[in-house]
Amino acid sequence: MTAIALRPPEVVMRLQRLGAAHPTRLSFLRQLIRRATSEQWRVRKYLFDLDDNGFGRAVYAVDTPVRTYSLVAFSTPLDDEKRSDRVIAQAWDTSYVLYDGLPDAADIARLEANAPLQEAGRYTRSELVLARANKSVRLFEDVASALAQGRQPDEEQLLGVGYLLRTTAVYGNGKFGIADRDEISSRPELAGSFQAEMLTVWLIRSFTLDLADHVARRRNPAGAARLAPDLRRALGVGNATGLGMAPFLVRHPLLTHSWFLARETALARVRAEPQAGAAERDAFSNALADLRRRIARWHSDDSRQAAATRILAADLGALAENLDQLLAKPRPWDALYRFAEDHFSLEGQEACVSLILEPHGALIDDLGDTMKADETPGHAIDGGMSCALLRQALLDSYSWARAIDFAEPSASARFWYVSAEKLEPRLGERFEEDGAELEQPLATARDALGLAAALAKEPSTTSVADFLLRRPEWRHAVRRAQIVAKFPYAEIHDNLIGAELRPVDILRAKLAFFGARSFDPRSDRWLRIALFSGEPLIEDVATMAGEAA
Amino acid sequence: MIDLSLNEVETLSAKAARGAGFSWGLAEDIGRAARRIAVEADNWGQAMLSLAEHAQSFEPPSPARAARWRSGETDAATGGPLCPIRTAALLLDEPLPANVMPLTILDVGLPVWLDAMLSRSAMRVARPAGLATRADVVIESRAETEQSDTGRRGAIDERTLAALNSFAARTYVPESERSRLRGAGGGRVDDE
Repeated sequence: MTAIALRPPEVVMRLQRLGAAHPTRLSFLRQLIRRATSEQWRVRKYLFDLDDNGFGRAVYAVDTPVRTYSLVAFSTPLDDEKRSDRVIAQAWDTSYVLYDGLPDAADIARLEANAPLQEAGRYTRSELVLARANKSVRLFEDVASALAQGRQPDEEQLLGVGYLLRTTAVYGNGKFGIADRDEISSRPELAGSFQAEMLTVWLIRSFTLDLADHVARRRNPAGAARLAPDLRRALGVGNATGLGMAPFLVRHPLLTHSWFLARETALARVRAEPQAGAAERDAFSNALADLRRRIARWHSDDSRQAAATRILAADLGALAENLDQLLAKPRPWDALYRFAEDHFSLEGQEACVSLILEPHGALIDDLGDTMKADETPGHAIDGGMSCALLRQALLDSYSWARAIDFAEPSASARFWYVSAEKLEPRLGERFEEDGAELEQPLATARDALGLAAALAKEPSTTSVADFLLRRPEWRHAVRRAQIVAKFPYAEIHDNLIGAELRPVDILRAKLAFFGARSFDPRSDRWLRIALFSGEPLIEDVATMAGEAA
Repeated sequence: MIDLSLNEVETLSAKAARGAGFSWGLAEDIGRAARRIAVEADNWGQAMLSLAEHAQSFEPPSPARAARWRSGETDAATGGPLCPIRTAALLLDEPLPANVMPLTILDVGLPVWLDAMLSRSAMRVARPAGLATRADVVIESRAETEQSDTGRRGAIDERTLAALNSFAARTYVPESERSRLRGAGGGRVDDE
């Protein structure tokens, strides 16, 4: 069997394609669901102390084979005008921590005094994740009042939104005093990327559904209905993600490489399969039908996304029509992918990547374990390398950047900075706003070309160590160049400070690796998504062993 | 005292280092070294503040002096104290040949930083230990060891934390109403 080459970084790592990314079975929430199912994690509602309006506190404990984790949830009154997706908000409908173990009354009291304050509170190493979520107010109320009247809510309206509450931040890795990632990275159940965060969101989902049931029952104890099981399973948790997350992929090059390499390796493995078995064909057809149903409900006011979604729907229609003849060919999955490459939009192509992977768990799921990287020690610079060699490596890995003319103002129209007010990454207009002298080192293409030019002025045998001794301002770019030369999926192959940059493209790629769906850009720099919609409920996994996840 | 996570130690230190004038790449190394100091000792905050306060008074090693170390010649001091960060960066980028160690380097500022920076290499500072302001140091070989950070935190007193935060604040851009609206996008209240 001849191997299929991986799609190269110059194809994979373009912003337009990143902005068309779809979740796959390697996405982090899918990895978590598989582990929880195979290990039969059990959820206990350890505390559920909410008043008639749904305000109060709750603890959901999850027993994994070795350890227990608890979602500690607080639900508090919030004036409508304070309900904002923005990171600058200061109050929320609900707040959460993922607690390491089972909290006692003193822990719960301590967390109740801090978690509703979010960033303004202070946390300990017993807390693994900090999060908050706001209600989709109208929808939550419609659901609660329908249930209180003893009937199910309108399904189309419900699934059109897709969730009852929307998280606006999910913090991990030591933020505001919570546990460092090092504390949990050797625990198998949380070792993978963002597993603690995904566990938190999965538990939040169940809390939001129980919250709606609770409010309905208190309004009409005798006659309220409970949300139907199929609706519970269809609903996810919303999320609003803004610019703050965008620099992550740039700042974590090894991790980024590991995520993309795993996905591309999975795709190449499946494309190399000589034929498609009956089980795989069935699973593919089911996945395709499921995706087409989801796309029919995928709503966005963003005209670009709405147009892309319409074309995606047409692409998948064409795929369905051609499916039988494509799968009859030798190397059917490769034929299918190449058909998509020749005929479909980027959305269509990336959706096909996801669909092709779906039936092939036995072949690719092991790659999930490779989607992590320990970046804590830092990446050592090879200072023994000559300046000439480093320059050549730069020109090789950044050949794409040479097409950008940084003499043009539009090529460096933007600058990334950290705002004094919120300590969050922001994007400024270099030629219109103050502060460009405080630019963050995210201008990857400009800096790579600048470094190459500086190296060109050095005698070719000068060592990189000598160069850096004189020119420490290039240290970050040297480190990056050496990383990218070894880890080709570490770099986004586009200008991150150009006038054309749409940060939502970066956000979407990262969120797709989480397992997000229903991407709904609200501008070029923030979007809403849904997590866990259509996936099993965490309280069900203990009894569904063997079911595909 | 305030109990910081090691990630907070690292990010605050990197920002403060940048605010104190170190390059981005060195600031990143300093953040990681601060984390090592916090794992091994209780005085990381004071060490970081001293580094930020003295950053401008240190000198980088001259290429001539670096060549002398590498060839095993006796070191000759050049005036001001050597920057422990620039010195360590040079030694990390191109490690000393084993046959020149132990090597004495004269008049290094805040040698605790030289040691912390070297902790991911096969070199270490044999002496002096502790928070000397400036000292002659001896670099020796050692077996590389990876120790676990589990359970370690970075305690810091409020005054030192405030001082480090003000160095870090030099890297922030003040917000105007215009940038507030444009910079993050969005700005709308829940509408569903």
